[in-house]
Amino acid sequence: MRYVLERIAFSLFALFILIFITFLLSHVVPGDPAIAAAGPNAGAEKIQLIRERMGLDQPFHVQFLTYGSKVLAGDFGTSWFTHQPIADDIMRELPPSLELVVLAMLINLVISFPVGLIAARYHGSSFDNGVRVVAIAGAGLPIFWTAILLQQKVAADWQLFPVAGRLSFAYRDFEGATGFYLFDSLAQARLDVFLDLIMHMFLPALALSLLFTAVGVRITRTSMISEFRKDYVVMARAKGASEARIMFRHVFRNGATPSLTVFGMQFGWMLGATVLVEEIFGRPGIGRYAVKAVTQSDIHAVVGVVLVVGLVFVISNMAIDLILFAINPRKARED
Amino acid sequence: MLLLALIGPYIAPFDPLAIDFRNRLVEPSWTHLLGTDGSGRDVLSRILYGAKLTILSTVTVIATVLFFGCILGIFSAFVGGTIDNFLMRIADVWLGFPPLILALGFAAALGSSLEAAILALIFSWWPTYARLSRMITVDILSKKFVASANALGVSTARKVTHYVLPNAFDILIIQVTLDISAVMLAISGLSFIGVGAQIPQPEWGAMIADGRSFTSKGWWVVTFPGLMIFITAMSFNIIGDMLRRELDPTLVTRH
Repeated sequence: MRYVLERIAFSLFALFILIFITFLLSHVVPGDPAIAAAGPNAGAEKIQLIRERMGLDQPFHVQFLTYGSKVLAGDFGTSWFTHQPIADDIMRELPPSLELVVLAMLINLVISFPVGLIAARYHGSSFDNGVRVVAIAGAGLPIFWTAILLQQKVAADWQLFPVAGRLSFAYRDFEGATGFYLFDSLAQARLDVFLDLIMHMFLPALALSLLFTAVGVRITRTSMISEFRKDYVVMARAKGASEARIMFRHVFRNGATPSLTVFGMQFGWMLGATVLVEEIFGRPGIGRYAVKAVTQSDIHAVVGVVLVVGLVFVISNMAIDLILFAINPRKARED
Repeated sequence: MLLLALIGPYIAPFDPLAIDFRNRLVEPSWTHLLGTDGSGRDVLSRILYGAKLTILSTVTVIATVLFFGCILGIFSAFVGGTIDNFLMRIADVWLGFPPLILALGFAAALGSSLEAAILALIFSWWPTYARLSRMITVDILSKKFVASANALGVSTARKVTHYVLPNAFDILIIQVTLDISAVMLAISGLSFIGVGAQIPQPEWGAMIADGRSFTSKGWWVVTFPGLMIFITAMSFNIIGDMLRRELDPTLVTRH
């Protein structure tokens, strides 16, 4: 219980730091917002007036408290380029991005765990060496470049997948209650829509996941190798347990724990990396929204995205840690 | 790679910024080994000049975070107690945030330019080194020879220069090699989005963004700069991995 409370306290602290960083970004770094808001021809009096109206004449900590309470109430301000409340914009753009990241994460896990486990089992073999080299090389892939190449070759030249968008033109009227179309299409028993969604998501998800998969394979492999070296594996072998049983029942279960923490962090990083792929594949999502906001110098919209991605990150890390604790209290505390 | 960055501008056959509309999107040939881009600029020359730009930016980021991160980390370790605890908690939280999105936020606040992207990455990357140098320092300060040095009244400055820094060198150099590729990917990524280097600057990420509109008519404009990023980042990863296998501490890579 003590661990759980400590973990929650740490997450709240992380949230505080997050709000502080975004406060710095939106209020301190860009210079005097009052001058920007007043426009180029404003006199000193007008600037002073605006400064008072925006609360910029207040002491630093008062401004921060005002900002913090607004953010916690879900008020991120209004976007300059969509003229909508930023919070609404983000709630609309978040589901497609989360869906994309979940699929990318699945690709990552489906590759990382088996490959890492087998490479560790045959540690030092040519397969293992091959895996190691590919994993190191893969960690140098520029995501946006792989995305463009995949789009150009696989989608445009070979026509195996759609080039861009979230859904085909035929389904443009599709609407769902949650905004998570994968879920909505299943709920409405529209299997055709579901498959169309997957076809549109596959290439962007693959491009997004390759770099993270390379890191994932490396982490899994390392932690499985150290697990294979432990005494209980020797013991199990001595007792005549089958190799498959040792691999799946013992090593995999224990060795997966440290890598799960990394995968939890990767979830947030992938969500951040959507800024590199969504624009290329013309998909709606917070990555594309952030890029648009940056090019329009809409600082509050960008900060809103930073906040939400950070929030998802804090929550997913806490969730992973608490799940690990629930599965194995003793081991979670050691890590 | 560093050699390429140094001599690149001298062996480049063309001016990387010279626009030549009669020779737009020329396929790779003997005159233009890697072809020309949508404004008729020579891709090979741009890549060679870009090597300097990309590597110089990366080195600037790493050198700065290494310097300030270590000062903070060593300071934190020597002070200890509540301040140490507080600083490291902040570093922990900061370290976890997706660096790309954090840098995007800083770049948006600072305005779009290569300098802004560099500064943004410095803001996002410092905790790695603060955390690492603090860990090393605490480890060294707990050694017996430091206890005897304390008894002899050795000054703090001398402890830092003679005990901490020499011992930290190996571990820091590995982390640096591994981070170079990550920082380089981040810089080119930011430039690709449009918040880093601006076209026509020959930065590799910006070149890819520029070439995107012609991918169907001129694959070489996008392919070669990307290949350069990939090869460079990969080389640093391989060097880092080799160094790590020599010394094998437990380090984390961020992406």
